[in-house]
Amino acid sequence: MIKRYFSLLLIVLISLRVSAQVWVVPAENEAKKSPFAFDDQSRKAGGDIYMTSCKSCHGEPGKNNSLPLVPPPPDMASAKMQGNSDGALQFKITTGRGPMPSFKNTISGTDVWKVISFVRSFNDKYVQEVATNAGPGAAVQNVKISITWLKEQSQVQATLTAPSKDKVIMPVAGAEVKLFAKRYFGNLLIDEPRNTDASGKAIFNFPKDLPGDSTGLVQLVVVPSSEAYGETKADTTLAAGVPTYLPPLNEKRAMWNVVQKAPIWLLLSYTLAVLGAWGFIIYVMLQIRAIYKAGSRKEND
Amino acid sequence: MSHNSKKTGEDEPGREQENTNSRRDFFKNFGLFGAVAAVGSAAIYSGYNYEESKPGHDMVKVLTSDNRIVEVPRDQIKDVKVDHDKLQKQGREGLKGHRFVMVIDLAKCRNARKCISACQGAHHLRPYEYHINTLVMQESEHTAPYFMPKPCQHCDNPPCVAVCPVDATFKRQDGIVLIDNERCIGCRFCIAACPYSARLFHWEEPLMAESDKGKPYNIELNIPQRKGTITKCLFSSDRLREGKLPYCVSACPNGVYYFGDENQDAVTNGTTKETFRLSELLRVNAGYQLMPELGTKPRVYYLPPKNRLFDFKEEKDPVQETT
Repeated sequence: MIKRYFSLLLIVLISLRVSAQVWVVPAENEAKKSPFAFDDQSRKAGGDIYMTSCKSCHGEPGKNNSLPLVPPPPDMASAKMQGNSDGALQFKITTGRGPMPSFKNTISGTDVWKVISFVRSFNDKYVQEVATNAGPGAAVQNVKISITWLKEQSQVQATLTAPSKDKVIMPVAGAEVKLFAKRYFGNLLIDEPRNTDASGKAIFNFPKDLPGDSTGLVQLVVVPSSEAYGETKADTTLAAGVPTYLPPLNEKRAMWNVVQKAPIWLLLSYTLAVLGAWGFIIYVMLQIRAIYKAGSRKEND
Repeated sequence: MSHNSKKTGEDEPGREQENTNSRRDFFKNFGLFGAVAAVGSAAIYSGYNYEESKPGHDMVKVLTSDNRIVEVPRDQIKDVKVDHDKLQKQGREGLKGHRFVMVIDLAKCRNARKCISACQGAHHLRPYEYHINTLVMQESEHTAPYFMPKPCQHCDNPPCVAVCPVDATFKRQDGIVLIDNERCIGCRFCIAACPYSARLFHWEEPLMAESDKGKPYNIELNIPQRKGTITKCLFSSDRLREGKLPYCVSACPNGVYYFGDENQDAVTNGTTKETFRLSELLRVNAGYQLMPELGTKPRVYYLPPKNRLFDFKEEKDPVQETT
C-alpha cells in the first residue's frame, strides 16, 4: 500500500517536473522570421557552427545520441525540436536555460539563423517563411558603418548608411547598434545599445577611464543588434582610451625573483658575508705564515 | 709517334713482326678488357645490390597531425625536432603587456566539477590529483555553506618561488607562476611555503607517463608530467597564448569564472562569454582575496556567496539542479 502511494507520489512529482520544463517563448519572439531565405550555403555554414557549438550536447542530427542530461537535449530531427517555430528556436538559442547555455555572445545574430537553417534541413515538411521587406524587421542590404571619436565630449559616434533602391546612399534611421571595446578574451559593451537618429547617427558615451594601449589606442567595434542588417560591422582603432603601461610583474627586485633581480641589501649582505669569511681565513693563514717565519728566523739565529 | 708507325709500315719484316705483335696484343688487350669488364660488371652488380639494400624502396605508413594515415618512402622521412628550447624560452618569458587575473563568483558555484575534469584532462592528471579543487565551506555553525573552487592564486609576492632552491618555479611578466618539471628536484619546499595548498607532488608515476614518453616537454602545460616533481595550476598559459580562456573557465556550465587582463581592466565570463570591467565587478560585488593578510598579493579574486543561486542542503546532482 505504502509502495503504491509512493509510486503515485513519484508519478505526480515527475509530471510536475515535466510541466515545469515548458519553455515559454514570448509571442513577439515566437513570430520572428529569418531575414534571409535558407539555401545550401546557409545550411552548410550552419552545419559547421552546429558541429562546433551544439553537437557536444545535442549529438548528431537523426542519430538520437545526445548527452543524457535532465532535461534531455532533443535531437535535431525529432518532432519536439521541429515543433518549434523559427522564432522560438532563435529565442532559445540566444537565451538559453539551465544546462543549455545562452549563445547570445558566442554566435552572431546571422549565424543563429544559419544554424536554424541547418536544423530545418532535417524536416522534409518544412516550408520557410522569410521576414517581409517592410516594417521594423525589414532587411537592409549593404549597410556601412563609420565610427568617429568626439574627443571634446568623450563620445563615440557611429553613422549607418545604406544604398536605397535608387542606389543613393541614405542614412539608416531607427537601427539599434551596440558599441564594444575589444579586450583580450572578448568584447566589452560600452554604454547602452543606442538607436540611430534620422541622420543615421548613434552617439555613445565613452568612459573616461577605460585603459587603452601605451598610446591610448582602443579597438572599437560597432554591431547592429538586429540581424536584419546582415553581417555588417565596423572595426576601428581610435585613441579613445587612457594610455596605460604597467611594467612586467617580474621586473621589480624581490626575494622571490631571480639572482639578477634580488634585493640590493640581500646581494650586498651576502657578498660581504662571503668576502668576510674568506678574508678571515686568508688573514689567519697569513698570521700562521708570519709565526712560521718568525720561528724559523729564531732557529737560524 | 705517327712518324714511327709510318716507318714500320714500309718495312715488310717489320709488318710481319707487327702482325704477330698485334695478335699477341689482341689477346693481351682482350685479357685486359675482360678483366676490366669483369671488374666493371662486379662494380655495377655490387652497386645494384647496394641500391637494393638501401631502404628507399619500401613505404612506411605515417599518421599525420590531422589524423590521416599516409605512405611515405622510408628514405624521405626526416626526424622533426620540435623546438624544445623555444618552448622553454616562451614559457619563461610569458606574454608581454598582460597581467592575467581570475575572478571566481561563489554565488554561482554548484559544485558541477566540470572545471576540475577539464583541467585534469588537459594536464593528464588522475581523478584525485587536483590543480583546482572545489571545497565545501562553512565559516561557522550559523552561516550559510558554499562551494569554493580554489586554484593556484598566482601571487604577486609568491612565497613558493622565494623558497625554490633551483629556480624551477618562477613568476613571469604576465603574472603567472609556473613550474619547470625539468629543473624541479622534488624538494617540496614550495609545498611547505604555499599558504593556499595549491601544489601537488607526483608521488607515483604520472597517469599518462607511457603515452607521453618522448613528447617534447611543454613548460606551459606541464606535459609530460614527471614522477618526483611538483605540478600546479598554470592558468592554462598554453591557451592564453592563443587568446583562449583557460580550460576550467570555458568548461564551467554555471558562469562561476571570469578571466581577463588587469591591464585592460576587463574580465570575460567563461560560460556566457560576456565581458565586464574588472574594477567595477569587484567594487559592486565586494570582491575579496584569500588570506590577504599574508602579503602574498593573489591574482585570484572571489565574489562573496551572496544570493546563492542554489539550495546547498538539497544539492544532489549539480546538473539536475540547474533546470
